[in-house]
Amino acid sequence: MSLLTLDHVSRIYAMRRGWLGRASAVQAVEAVSLTVQPGRTLGVVGESGCGKSTTGRLALGLEVPDAGTVQFAGQAMPPPNSAAWRTLRARMQLVPQDPLGALDRRLSVARQIAEPLTIHGIGDAGERADRVAMLLQDVGLRADQAARYPHALSGGQRQRVVLARALATGPDLLVCDEPVSALDVSIQAQIVNLLVDLQAQRQIGMLFISHDLRVIRQISHDVAVMYLGRVIERGDPDAVFADPAHPYAQALVAAIPGGRGGRRAVLQGDPPNPADRPTGCAFHPRCPAAVSRCRAEVPVLKPRPGDGRLVACHVAQGESELGLAA
Amino acid sequence: MNHLVHPASQTSFVPTDPLVTIRDLTVAFHGTVALHGIDLHIRPGESLGLVGESGCGKSVTWLAALGLLPKSANVAGSVRLQGQELLHATGPVLDRVRGGRIAMIFQDPASSLNPVHRIGRQVAEAVRLHRGLSGAGARAEALRLLDQVGIPGARARMDAYPHEMSGGQNQRVMIAAALAGRPELLIADEPTTALDVTIQAQILDLLQQLRSDTGMALVLISHDLGVVADMCDRVCVMYAGRIVEEAAASGLFDAPAHPYTRGLLGALPALSGARQRLQAIPGRVPDPSSMPPGCAFAPRCERRIDACDAGLPPLDAITPGHLAACIRADRG
Ligand SMILES: Nc1ncnc2c1ncn2[C@@H]1O[C@H](COP(=O)(O)OP(=O)(O)O)[C@@H](O)[C@H]1O
Ligand SMILES: Nc1ncnc2c1ncn2[C@@H]1O[C@H](COP(=O)(O)OP(=O)(O)O)[C@@H](O)[C@H]1O
Ligand SMILES: [Mg+2]
Ligand SMILES: [Mg+2]
Repeated sequence: MSLLTLDHVSRIYAMRRGWLGRASAVQAVEAVSLTVQPGRTLGVVGESGCGKSTTGRLALGLEVPDAGTVQFAGQAMPPPNSAAWRTLRARMQLVPQDPLGALDRRLSVARQIAEPLTIHGIGDAGERADRVAMLLQDVGLRADQAARYPHALSGGQRQRVVLARALATGPDLLVCDEPVSALDVSIQAQIVNLLVDLQAQRQIGMLFISHDLRVIRQISHDVAVMYLGRVIERGDPDAVFADPAHPYAQALVAAIPGGRGGRRAVLQGDPPNPADRPTGCAFHPRCPAAVSRCRAEVPVLKPRPGDGRLVACHVAQGESELGLAA
Repeated sequence: MNHLVHPASQTSFVPTDPLVTIRDLTVAFHGTVALHGIDLHIRPGESLGLVGESGCGKSVTWLAALGLLPKSANVAGSVRLQGQELLHATGPVLDRVRGGRIAMIFQDPASSLNPVHRIGRQVAEAVRLHRGLSGAGARAEALRLLDQVGIPGARARMDAYPHEMSGGQNQRVMIAAALAGRPELLIADEPTTALDVTIQAQILDLLQQLRSDTGMALVLISHDLGVVADMCDRVCVMYAGRIVEEAAASGLFDAPAHPYTRGLLGALPALSGARQRLQAIPGRVPDPSSMPPGCAFAPRCERRIDACDAGLPPLDAITPGHLAACIRADRG
């Protein structure tokens, strides 16, 4: 059974200050379907504003979808802040990008790691202290660092504290939202290795969000590429990065610095404005392969003929002529 | 071991006299030394990459060279632009050089641009300052520059404010303003770090294009080894306020000599091949106020021996043109 299932989930925000001051609706996430298996990592990759964080909040039940359903361990996600949801939170935790923002500057490291145990009423004071000591060790912090305050730690150490706190209740699911994006590559590698080890030890399922394709490939068993609120390609990371099917995924891979692309085919144009979504395929104004059907009809994510790669593109599906699809 | 592809060098050099020569550049803030004597040069037309983890002194090197550090900074050494000494030069001399022969762009274009002025006016102002054009002439040149950096519909965009433009477009505006003085050298400090990957590719492409059109030299400061591999002919790796390795880009990425450089490359996830555990560098960059004795990298180094703590390793040639400051370096 899947640990987490998003089925055609959509989220629309009302935006007061629109592009030109007008009120407008932002379709942050549109008909997104994803699954996370126990002990496996689904990587979600895409450029800023494509809906990755919103997807993460929907997955944790922090927000309610405007359409579609979220299921955790086979059960419908309870409404945010309900008793059932609060109980469930012990089993699913968020690891955010900015650990300093996520930590309380006035509390010691030990207090913050113990916090979820207190909230969920797990153990007595002595047991909690033992548990905190073990968690510190698990995330590679020294026992004497328990008494420190967040500002006295480096960025990498703070991210370890956030991770220890997320692990305190023994969760089955971690939603990691750009957890290493603010870190230097050397420290990033430490945290990525740590996440891989923790997952292997505890069979944690992970929804791992990043704009960094190298990190996504390193950590994911399955990858979803998003563009303007939609998943446009999904599959095995090796296959997707070696031979992306969607023209946007191709552009992303070609743009990776130090990669094979050598930036030969640089994608033109600015990122789209989510409040002013293009008709048809949202990528068509920037797409080198776009045909008239792309302007008219939103392509659905479905297996392409041949290898069954999931891709939402008329051209990649070989259905670029209008009305060809049954 | 290395996951970076370095394209064949775009420019080949007839050895020429350096455009800028930095000698023994030292910077201290309130008695704490942040830069420990940097030697660096850049030749006309060359592209030099400066890499290293944050806090290694990449930005301070060029801020010091151009007299842009606060008064509290204690700067010593020498920075020569061809014959001319820049360090502790007078205000008027520096004002002519900065934005003139040497221009600089930064990570965050939005904070470098003035939010209350239209972008056309800001570029025209740079033209007025550095080219002595005014009025319609300056505006015409500003339009030409905005066009050159690929602002679509430049004429109409002249009247836009920075907040009406995307991050990538604002970085193009900054580049246009930097080009106003027809610089011989552009210092780009993390110019694409705040941008999405496809927009980063556009800006890097633009810089490469401008280099081949104008022949200007480029110093590219980046924490991203991939960016430097794509863009640069020669690379300096900095660690804790010193240059620890210097080589042609091909030599550096194919045969890194210093364990720190090897560590940085090993920490970068590959894009193909079997998944391998990342080689994380343990620990972190030392604080300038508590530097280890001897080699500053030794406490994090897998090759450390006792001799590493005894003294500073000199920056020696491993092979001709390939320098590394490490007594345990791989020698060619
Ligand atoms: N609380 C909110 N109110 C209004 N708009 C929002 C809100 N959260 C996100 N958005 C918008 O939804 C889109 C997707 O945002 P987000 O999920 O944060 O993307 P990502 O994490 O991929 O950068 C963006 O256009 C963003 O501005
Ligand atoms: N204005 C300043 N005052 C005090 N210390 C500074 C100042 N600017 C930089 N430093 C210190 O100098 C060192 C090098 O910084 P910098 O050159 O900005 O690093 P980077 O390699 O990330 O560009 C760091 O330890 C930093 O904290
Ligand atoms: Mg986000
Ligand atoms: Mg810097």
